[in-house]
Amino acid sequence: MKITLVKKILADGSPCKKCGDVLQKLEESGHMSRIDEVLVADERDPDSAGLQVAKDLNVHRAPFFVVEKEGQAPEVHTVYLKFVKDVLEQNTSASDEALEIMKDNPDLDFI
Amino acid sequence: MPAELLNTVDIDSTLQKEPPQEILRYALSQFDNIALSFSGAEDVVLLDMAMQIRPNIEVFCLDTGRLHSETYRFIEKVREHYNINIDVLYPDGSAVRQLVKEKGLYSFYQDNHQECCSIRKIAPLKSKLLELDAWVTGQRKDQSPGTRGTIPVIQDDRLFARANETLTKFNPLANWTSRQVWDYIRAYNVPYNELHDRGFQSIGCEPCTRPTGPNQHEREGRWWWEEATQKECGLHASNVKKA
Ligand code: SF4
Repeated sequence: MKITLVKKILADGSPCKKCGDVLQKLEESGHMSRIDEVLVADERDPDSAGLQVAKDLNVHRAPFFVVEKEGQAPEVHTVYLKFVKDVLEQNTSASDEALEIMKDNPDLDFI
Repeated sequence: MPAELLNTVDIDSTLQKEPPQEILRYALSQFDNIALSFSGAEDVVLLDMAMQIRPNIEVFCLDTGRLHSETYRFIEKVREHYNINIDVLYPDGSAVRQLVKEKGLYSFYQDNHQECCSIRKIAPLKSKLLELDAWVTGQRKDQSPGTRGTIPVIQDDRLFARANETLTKFNPLANWTSRQVWDYIRAYNVPYNELHDRGFQSIGCEPCTRPTGPNQHEREGRWWWEEATQKECGLHASNVKKA
């Protein structure tokens, strides 16, 4: 299994806040060692590796994780806590996960 | 057909040109384990259309505990009118209790609606969607140009999919306007929520919804006290070179 994290640099060159939060949580929990590669989706550079992966996998947000297993299509995870639970098999709180989903997905206001 | 075999991007470009009834017909032909999400508002048109195709389609609805009494009455009216079961979903009682104990009944006016919505809507929705292979929503592009301007009619729902599996989401009304929805409701005598006759264009929870006046967009009737949030997590696809 190969895990790739794609983080974003905004068009003004500043780092994306959520990406920073996720990286910090990965470091603090010791999960960073499970991440095989970190790619940058640089909004100033359409050729940046992260933006190309986002395009190939039809992902419209960052950060996100790509999990590749031999012989299987790559899996994309855009919810950090869901990734932690489903891929890293660590316990997460259902309400924290719901709040993360709500905060990161303003389009869910249709519900 | 296993959902993983669906290339939702390609199918979307074909279905975008189709009317909602055809999109629904396609969705129901592809999935048995599919349910329709009904909000108790004008998305009743979708339910009406689905009844013509699969009268026993599973329908669910989120009861946040804060809906207008008119909406509860309407949900009941729909249940009787179509003679269907509606699976009414409720939030986790202890999570609501904790929120109210810590922050009161109107915390969303002080913070914002995210925490309350995550407990009352997202968590029960998430549990429900774990049971399904596909779901159908009534969302439309014209409801919120800011957050829904580009919604596809079919999409791979990575947010709510079971681990290592896929969940497909259909938005058959994506390209319909409010006008088309209301033309349908009137043409086919579809029952509707009485709040619409009192100036409510968009209907949600009672404390977070208000009527709108002439020339106001319907979103101005929802969470009106909040600033438009900066959607920093979006990737600006226009920056991505075409292959
Ligand atoms: S719409 Fe308002 S009352 Fe309803 S769940 Fe969201 S914040 Fe809570």
